[in-house]
Amino acid sequence: MIDFEEELKSYEPSLEIEEAVDNIYGHDLTDLTDIFREMLEESRRN
Amino acid sequence: MFKRLIATSNALYNEGLRRASIRDLSGAAEVLRTSLKLYKLNIPARNLLGLVYFEMGEGVRAMAEWVISKNFLPEENPAGRYLEEIQNNPTQLELISQTTKKYNQALLYCQQDSRDLAVIQLKKVLSVNPKMIRAHQLLALLYIQEQRFDLAKKTLRNALKLDGSNLTTLRYLKECNQALKREPERKKKEKQEEQLNRYVSGNEMIIQPGKLRDNTALVTILNILIGLAIGVLITWFLVVPGVKMAVRSEMNVQVSEANETIADKEQTILSLQNQIDQMNSQIEAAKLGEEESDTRLTSYQQLLNAYVAYANEDVNAAGQALASVNADYLDTTAQDAYETINTQVNEEYMDAAYKAGDTAYNEGHYDDAIQEFLKIMVLDETYHSGDALYSLAQAYSKNGDDQNAAVYYRKIATLYPDTQRARTAERFLEEYGDTAEDQGAENTAATDETAPAE
Repeated sequence: MIDFEEELKSYEPSLEIEEAVDNIYGHDLTDLTDIFREMLEESRRN
Repeated sequence: MFKRLIATSNALYNEGLRRASIRDLSGAAEVLRTSLKLYKLNIPARNLLGLVYFEMGEGVRAMAEWVISKNFLPEENPAGRYLEEIQNNPTQLELISQTTKKYNQALLYCQQDSRDLAVIQLKKVLSVNPKMIRAHQLLALLYIQEQRFDLAKKTLRNALKLDGSNLTTLRYLKECNQALKREPERKKKEKQEEQLNRYVSGNEMIIQPGKLRDNTALVTILNILIGLAIGVLITWFLVVPGVKMAVRSEMNVQVSEANETIADKEQTILSLQNQIDQMNSQIEAAKLGEEESDTRLTSYQQLLNAYVAYANEDVNAAGQALASVNADYLDTTAQDAYETINTQVNEEYMDAAYKAGDTAYNEGHYDDAIQEFLKIMVLDETYHSGDALYSLAQAYSKNGDDQNAAVYYRKIATLYPDTQRARTAERFLEEYGDTAEDQGAENTAATDETAPAE
């Protein structure tokens, strides 16, 4: 049985055009290659 | 290590591409996001994610991905072309913006529990942007909440055509199918519930049929009769008294008006009667005035006749004329003349009458004598110390008229007591019997004074 209120919480507002730029700049683009690269650099420093 | 990550990312891109090709857009988006988490510079994966978003009706999210992609690879990047196409089409850009705003507004309505407005808003969104999966799902959710499973199912099928493996869409659809399977039983149960009225009386739940149909002919006739009875009672107790009161009021008004009319007529009659009385009074006054004038005129004429007769030495005619004169109607000068003539005429008239009467008496002509003596009585009863009065009584007595004789004897006895004539008169009266009968005779004689007996 679907709980309407709970389902409604899963819906988020769509990104509007005016907010797109901020969203892009605030978007976390970190990927696994970045993480591995940092790990390698840290291991080299150690 | 890096090559392995890039290879995995590429593999995921391929999986995303495969899923997108079979319109498993949500699955493709999920795989492509994972691909980009492994290697953010996977330009084809990011561009494809943008396309998937765009196909799902998420224009802004698509553009965001393409902008990032273009940022990572400014040259030879299809994302630039996608962005260029959108930016060169302001109408499409405006549509994306409007649908996004309306969708957000619909979501807000849902949160504010304004579901009707949310449904209207979502229908507008889908009429402009039918690819927006989330709008389909939200609309279906609202329909499900309102138990309108048919509409929800229809919306979800449209969503499935766009995104065939969307888990949310499938879950909602499954709910709809189950609900629609339960629908006949539910409707039947609701119908039964509608037909039953339940209420609690004390500790007991009372259940009775909701509608009690009395279609029997007997009940119908009974209802009609009850209605008629109520109608009659209402008419009798409410309408009839009102009508009676109105009639009574109208009658009272008419009676009042009639009374007023009668009072007016009576007043008019009274006024006319007063006028008649006044006229009668005037007529009476006029008659009296006329009689007075006649009397006055007659008096003056008789005075004139008396004067003429007196001038011609006809004393008898003068005396008769003077007897007809009423001195009260004469003015002062005429009254003086009347008194002068009357005094002189009367003396001569009475002397002549007495002489004639005495002559007639001596000759035995008692009737003539009576007439002459009566002329004197009219003017002066005490003429010659009662000679004329006594002679008159004697003449009546001689003539056999004892009744009138008694009248004048009685006057003699009264006016000249203790005289020979009085004693003679008393003797006569004693012989005659001066009783009550004499009183009647006296009255008759009194009449004779003005009208001598024949």
